[in-house]
Amino acid sequence: MNSYLFQKGLSGELELFPHIIEFGLKKVQTIRLSSFPIERTTAFSIYYIWDGRYDWNIDGDPYILYPSDLALVLPGQTLGSPRSTFDIGSISWLTLDNSHGSWSGFSPTESRSIQKILELNAIPVAAGMKEAGRIFQQLTQELHLQEIGFQTRVNQLIDALLILVTRQFIHQSHSQRDFSGSFMKLEQELRKNLSHQWAVDEMAALVGLGTTAFTEKVKSYTGFSPLNYLINIRISEAIKLLKQTNTNLTDIALDTGFYSSQHFSTTFKKLTGYTPSQFRKDNTDKP
Amino acid sequence: MNSRQDCILTIDLGTGSVRIFAFDLEGVFIGSMKGSYPTFHREPDQSEQDPEQIFITVLYVLKNLLTERIKPAGYHVTAICFSAAMHSVLPVDKKGNPLGNAITWSDNRGKQEARELKNTSLGKAIYDATGTPIHPMSPLIKIAWMKNQDKERFNKTTRFLSLKSYIIQQLTGETIIDYSLASATGLFNIHSFQWEQAALDYAGVTVSRLPELVPVFYSTLRLRGEFQSSLGLSSNTKIIAGASDGCLATLGAGVWGEGKATITVEQSGAVRVVGKDVLIDEKQRLFNYVLTKDYYVSGGPTNNGGVIFEWFTREFGSFRKAFDLEDSMAGLIQEASRIPAGSDGLLFLPYLLGERAPIWNANARGLYFGLNMQHRQQHFIRATIEGILYEIYSIGKTLEEHRSIHTLSINGSFTAYPFWAQMIADIFNKPVHVKNNSDSIGLGAFLLTATEMGLYKSLEEATRGIDVPGMYRPDRNNHEVYMRLFRIFERLSSKLADDFEDIANLQS
Repeated sequence: MNSYLFQKGLSGELELFPHIIEFGLKKVQTIRLSSFPIERTTAFSIYYIWDGRYDWNIDGDPYILYPSDLALVLPGQTLGSPRSTFDIGSISWLTLDNSHGSWSGFSPTESRSIQKILELNAIPVAAGMKEAGRIFQQLTQELHLQEIGFQTRVNQLIDALLILVTRQFIHQSHSQRDFSGSFMKLEQELRKNLSHQWAVDEMAALVGLGTTAFTEKVKSYTGFSPLNYLINIRISEAIKLLKQTNTNLTDIALDTGFYSSQHFSTTFKKLTGYTPSQFRKDNTDKP
Repeated sequence: MNSRQDCILTIDLGTGSVRIFAFDLEGVFIGSMKGSYPTFHREPDQSEQDPEQIFITVLYVLKNLLTERIKPAGYHVTAICFSAAMHSVLPVDKKGNPLGNAITWSDNRGKQEARELKNTSLGKAIYDATGTPIHPMSPLIKIAWMKNQDKERFNKTTRFLSLKSYIIQQLTGETIIDYSLASATGLFNIHSFQWEQAALDYAGVTVSRLPELVPVFYSTLRLRGEFQSSLGLSSNTKIIAGASDGCLATLGAGVWGEGKATITVEQSGAVRVVGKDVLIDEKQRLFNYVLTKDYYVSGGPTNNGGVIFEWFTREFGSFRKAFDLEDSMAGLIQEASRIPAGSDGLLFLPYLLGERAPIWNANARGLYFGLNMQHRQQHFIRATIEGILYEIYSIGKTLEEHRSIHTLSINGSFTAYPFWAQMIADIFNKPVHVKNNSDSIGLGAFLLTATEMGLYKSLEEATRGIDVPGMYRPDRNNHEVYMRLFRIFERLSSKLADDFEDIANLQS
């Protein structure tokens, strides 16, 4: 395999793939100073190690990468070598812009779930990813040969790579043994992004379960369906905002994930017996 | 069905979930529902819960139970009684609004304060007066910790509530704490039934910064109008103050008299007895909580109950289905049952979470001891369960220095496994009756309410009707094997104190 580099706007091979920012393979035989300083990245990249031993720092944490390891770097994270040099070896990478556009075969929910899971990924390195290596090889071939149907094949291969990486990270972060631990992590995510319109399959994906199994598990664990559990969190956060701030009701409604202040008021009243404004008055005017 | 039949609801605010039970006036169970809430551990030793989420969960479950079970069956709610986990602290401002999260029993941030106070003459005097061991679990220590380490919150706090006080305040507008729950705060004198001045001084608070003390039968509170209409409950529904979960589980287990003790094994565990007198333990190993002025519930708690077997299962069990812990645990127990009692000399000390009674050593850690080449994986499973129960036996043995115990009533999710129930019978060498724990708490709260309503003359009479379910008889041979190992267990537990200290320091 020889080194090559395709870049958006410069390489004709990428003309049909505006979502690919870079696709390349690099073979390094001599170490050059300052060839790989730690810098902030702006796009989404997947690296695959063919050969060598790489001493990297990904978003502040040290990792050592070996052949058939895969690394994932998200926009805004930092990446580089602590010695600022690119180690000897060969490596493939694919850099995508962060928009999951119409090129992909994913459904909107799948696309959202995959993005969420990859964003949450705490360990950006996966070992033993030979399958990813095969996908990189096929991508290289398709882009070089440009045979009939290559546009579809390239996009399919990128989808396949994203699925592979996402599944791997789910298995890495969930042992499928500790539901309370996994549920706790999900809880934290829900709280962090309360204004997000969470769908059940999205929540299920974060725990690494299918929707049916997830719903059943949450119901027996919490006594509530996933969406009702989410309403619990939404209302309890709303209560705090009503009591502690002067934020207007519409903003509270949207911040805590309700569609509208009307939706918020109805749900709030149904559960607590108070309208939000009555509740605020009762809890802030008292001596 | 009659057009209007009366019923009683019991609301248990447990460590991880609220459970609401409904009984008719004869004590016949109508239905129950639960809703869980999370515990946050955002820094080492921290355990907190969101009071607003707990409140919403209570309302939600209550509403669902009423609309799905109670009303369709034509029942009318005459009274609602509360039980709750002990030792929580929730600081609130002058409007009664929470200042941050509630601190729950397992929060250990006050360990420094507890260590310094425990063996002083003041610490000993506070323990004798309040019955609550000097430990980070105790609200006494939690408030003192806040005074020292979170001054801003301490100074802003108008009142220090329990979670139960907060829920009752939200529902009724009144700020109370019952004697029973108060007796687990380390601030309440269990002899005079008033706040203990020496404890208040130590914590840096005055009586005005605590909820109003009321008896467990206190029944004059009523729901706020908004909740009467949103829940569809009548304005004369009695709200009964109720008691702590531990005291009510003991009442509901029917352990009300000489010679009886109750063992609970949930995530944590406890052994308890009931009596008219306080147990005086020089070494401060036992708690003395009150239910009413006539009854003390005394005993000792363990950190390392079923949670340890869950840990073992998660790490070493086989999972046929994702997250199916129950199935995996059942499989392990099956395997353990093929190994003889005593695990062929493999011994386990279960102190993974440090330990409370009877050794009260936060630095204690786990240990498998006596391994030889013949030990297989199955031995580890059995030894793990045996170790958890030796620890519980060591609490029982401490209690037996004060009271004689002839029969045991056991409850909690882990005692539902016959293998565990039989092992408890064998280790204790006493007959064992099994009851369901959350049922016991609910039943205890029902009996309390029914007694308040005059359906029973006394709590003692109320417990007479409790049916005594299936019994396990001890096997003497197994008992002897267990006792040979228990002697080593006991010796190691005290002998290793220095090494526990060293290894815990190394881990921190």
